[in-house]
Amino acid sequence: MFFKSKPMWGKKTKLKSSYDVVLIGGGLHSLATAYYLAKEHGITDVAIIEKNYIGFGGAGPNTAIVRANQRTQYNVPLYKEALDLWPVLTKELDYNLMFNNCGNLNLMHSEAAMNAARMNIATAQFHGVESHLIDAKEAKELVPALNISDDITFPIHGAMYHPPGGVVRHDAVVWGLAKGASKMGVEIHQQTEATGIATKNGKVTAVMTDRGVINTKQVLISAGGYSAALINGFLGIKLPISVLTIQAMVTQPLKPILDHVVSSGAYHCYANQTLKGEIATGAHMDQWPNYTTLTTAYYIKHQAQALSEFLPALRGVRFMRIWGGLADMTPDMAPIMDGNEQIEGFFMDCGWGYFGFKSCSAVGRHMAGFMATNTCPDILKPFALKRYQEHKLMGETAALVSYTPDN
Amino acid sequence: MALTITCPICGKRNGYEFRYGGEEKGPRPDEKDLTPESWCDYVHMNKCVAGVQQEWWFHRDGCGSWFTIFRDTTTNLEKETPEAKE
Repeated sequence: MFFKSKPMWGKKTKLKSSYDVVLIGGGLHSLATAYYLAKEHGITDVAIIEKNYIGFGGAGPNTAIVRANQRTQYNVPLYKEALDLWPVLTKELDYNLMFNNCGNLNLMHSEAAMNAARMNIATAQFHGVESHLIDAKEAKELVPALNISDDITFPIHGAMYHPPGGVVRHDAVVWGLAKGASKMGVEIHQQTEATGIATKNGKVTAVMTDRGVINTKQVLISAGGYSAALINGFLGIKLPISVLTIQAMVTQPLKPILDHVVSSGAYHCYANQTLKGEIATGAHMDQWPNYTTLTTAYYIKHQAQALSEFLPALRGVRFMRIWGGLADMTPDMAPIMDGNEQIEGFFMDCGWGYFGFKSCSAVGRHMAGFMATNTCPDILKPFALKRYQEHKLMGETAALVSYTPDN
Repeated sequence: MALTITCPICGKRNGYEFRYGGEEKGPRPDEKDLTPESWCDYVHMNKCVAGVQQEWWFHRDGCGSWFTIFRDTTTNLEKETPEAKE
């Protein structure tokens, strides 16, 4: 990509000394925010600055799964909107995002889990998201490869079936949004590292980069796993985030065997078959914060054990590639979206953990609205950083997750 | 991911024997004059340093001791002091 003079999404432009809005991070959340700033609010004097290349962080390594079967009334509408936007964006961007709504199947391995699923399903249905509880036999009809016998570690009692979910081609979303945004005048500057944010009288005045100072009144940090370190480094704002490495892998390509995204909390495993035929699978994280994306043999073994139990047809299939990415986890498994609160003109969109991809379209749209009007949209209000101080943590997990002592 | 931790009692061991215990945040704040802000700061907030940080570890599958080490979060390697760099 760097050897050509012209990137595939538009013309290369010179970095100016001032913009209306600067977005730090060239991932999907920044690209979507820039796209909607230009499209819905006419703000086109926007620069995205990215240290590496667009889609370097979480946009590339994620496993492309999209769904809206989360747990709380705050999260579900956001993910539903994101899910509804894929076909719309495909048309708008005139770019095939390869949305395949094959449906998600969350396996349940106990009666208690079935009851928890009932609550999730009630929440989903209340918000107009299709989600059903099915028993083990029905799950087997949907996914004939599934092992519903009693002789495995976690026998399958049933599943939460969420037909509108599926997979979206993640690289296509990066290129499509970059193309769409740059067509409307947004500038994307790769190989440009933000090194600081200047403030005066509690207001943002400029962003420092390794290519010079950019004057701006509004800046958004949405740099995925690197957001927390940048926000603390630039502004001294601490966040309830732990950055962990999450791993994923694919097997050798197979003939069609799996036409749903299957996941299991008990096995700590999800699997879906890509259009190339590989089984993409992952889930586990090493429980100590770090910024490496190193992989471990430990997880290949774990994944192989889990898959050969609930999808026994995959026994003996070889893994072909394994990779890691960063997940910025919060204690309540819900993101932090805030702005004009700590410093006027400073916005943040982080703490997405491993949900950043699923949410990017809708979040970009609402963050753009937030930045354009300086008013937080109602849908984003519950995600403010203050919730931790007020002890209004979200119940996205049944119990508070701590990536510290008790896990 | 290679990680070894040096326990003050057992010496250098495989990282999977240990449980991470969080960033070193200084002493627990005094209950007198405690505000929601200072408590939240102590309980939830992290610096997420991309570099050397002081952090707690618990030798779960070993001697059971709690201790702090300095580790570079970008390489997973232990450091003698916070200033020590590659």
